[in-house]
Amino acid sequence: MNSRSWTKVKRFLSALALVAVSVIAVFPFVYMVIVSLKPRVLTYDPSVWVFSPTFENYIAIFRQRNLLHFARNSFIVVLGTTLLSLALGSLAAYGFARFSFKKSESLAFWILSLRMLPPMATVIPFFIVARLLGILDTHIVLILAYMTFNIPFSIWMMRGFFEEIPREIEEAALVDGCSHWQVFLRILLPLSAPGLTATAIFCVIQSWNEFAFALFLTGVNARTLPTTVTFFLSVTGVIWGEMAAVGVVTALPVIIFAMLVQKHMIRGLTFGAVKQ
Amino acid sequence: MYILPAVTILVLLTLVPSVFLYYVSITDYELGQLWSTHKLIGFRNYHRLLSGRDFEFWPSVRISITFMLLATSIETVLGFAIALLLNQEFRFKSLVFGCLLMPITITPSIVGQMWKLMYNAEYGVLNYFTERLLGVKVAWLGPELAFLSTLMVDVWQWTPFVALIIYAGLRSIPSEPFEAALVDGANTVQSFWYITLPLIRPLLMLAVIFRSMDSLKLFDVPFVLTQGGPGSATELLSLHVYRLGFAQTGWVARAAATAVLLLVMIISLSRLLVRHIREGGSTV
Repeated sequence: MNSRSWTKVKRFLSALALVAVSVIAVFPFVYMVIVSLKPRVLTYDPSVWVFSPTFENYIAIFRQRNLLHFARNSFIVVLGTTLLSLALGSLAAYGFARFSFKKSESLAFWILSLRMLPPMATVIPFFIVARLLGILDTHIVLILAYMTFNIPFSIWMMRGFFEEIPREIEEAALVDGCSHWQVFLRILLPLSAPGLTATAIFCVIQSWNEFAFALFLTGVNARTLPTTVTFFLSVTGVIWGEMAAVGVVTALPVIIFAMLVQKHMIRGLTFGAVKQ
Repeated sequence: MYILPAVTILVLLTLVPSVFLYYVSITDYELGQLWSTHKLIGFRNYHRLLSGRDFEFWPSVRISITFMLLATSIETVLGFAIALLLNQEFRFKSLVFGCLLMPITITPSIVGQMWKLMYNAEYGVLNYFTERLLGVKVAWLGPELAFLSTLMVDVWQWTPFVALIIYAGLRSIPSEPFEAALVDGANTVQSFWYITLPLIRPLLMLAVIFRSMDSLKLFDVPFVLTQGGPGSATELLSLHVYRLGFAQTGWVARAAATAVLLLVMIISLSRLLVRHIREGGSTV
């Protein structure tokens, strides 16, 4: 084989591999969408791929399983924790980015290490304390619990974004008589608006997806969407169509959000360690 | 000043609960018991775990560590291969990236559910394929394969993560060393081994550390997929904590002791990460 046809073969093989990787990556979700749209009689027949789609499963989960209630809970918790974490986190990030003080690095790394806390270790004390305080199964307890990972995340992400802004702009403003507060609010935050948005979206995704805290700290009132999967765990004669429909409704918003922050994805996933 | 509010809240939300966790782990508290009636019993919970009298603890540690080692190494190798594939010019590149982001971002509990649908022995789509192509039905979530099936889900979910990190690294390598190597007569394998690999090492380490810590504390996917079963074939440490503390028995104190040991394992790993980032090897 001469070298030119060898290059062609190589190109073909790598294209094939890329297609295979992409198909494997999306197939499970696509399949779930298919199952959710199948008419009841076809649900348990994997050999049927072509059928006229029905929305009966989606109607059922909103009518009978009251999915809107859980969606509302998810929405409240996500909004609350994101706003609070972002406010506190970016303020602290400003401190870390612009003022160095004794032990500031150790403190920053302690904050980073909080990401590693296994949820099962935090959930036990949270559960007992929340029960003593009588705030189990409320939105507040989840908002607080999610701040344990959203604040560290916001600090590290925003610190990186702030450090990318040249100091000269701020120094000019300080010379003109701005206070540090004004610099932070009027210059740094607006200039890092894209970073702030990306950070917010990551907080939304993380909080929306969270499972362990939501499972143990809530009962009926404050239960969020991801934990609705437990309805289908113990039921015998599982209703696959509805199960899949719940999955699609839960996952779809996150997928859309993820596409919005595609550019910052690697940075977000590594806590700002990889700046791309 | 600026840092104080965030740090205060973090201390309240994490340090205080951690201390409380240590405290609970040396009591005899059980679920449903009035909090005020608990007694301090010293290190008896730990002694019980480590001495193997709690005969499910060590097997669970073994399952967790095996899972961590296998998941991390498979994901790293596959992720590296995919990153090399991505690191060339081709059409629809952003579409491929979009596809790769799916597994990473989909709600993990839904991932568990999705795969449960596909793994089903009777009506699952995977067995539909295997029966068509190979003429056999596989008991994906049976006692022999449940562990590997859970591992496969993790590989599906997180290989793209490793691939994206390594890809970011590959993009940042300058082309000069390769040109010099070419002039010096190095072949592809040599330049990969002596140039690509050393230059990519910091990011590779970062990916490895992230994956090993996250797979060690994994909870949601196996909880939905197998609940630790069948038997205790997939009972990772997090699931063991859950079963001790919340599911059947309600031995919160003993679960807390187990959680503390899990915490110790993860903290020692996170030390590695912190030292690594501090050395500054990861700003690309």
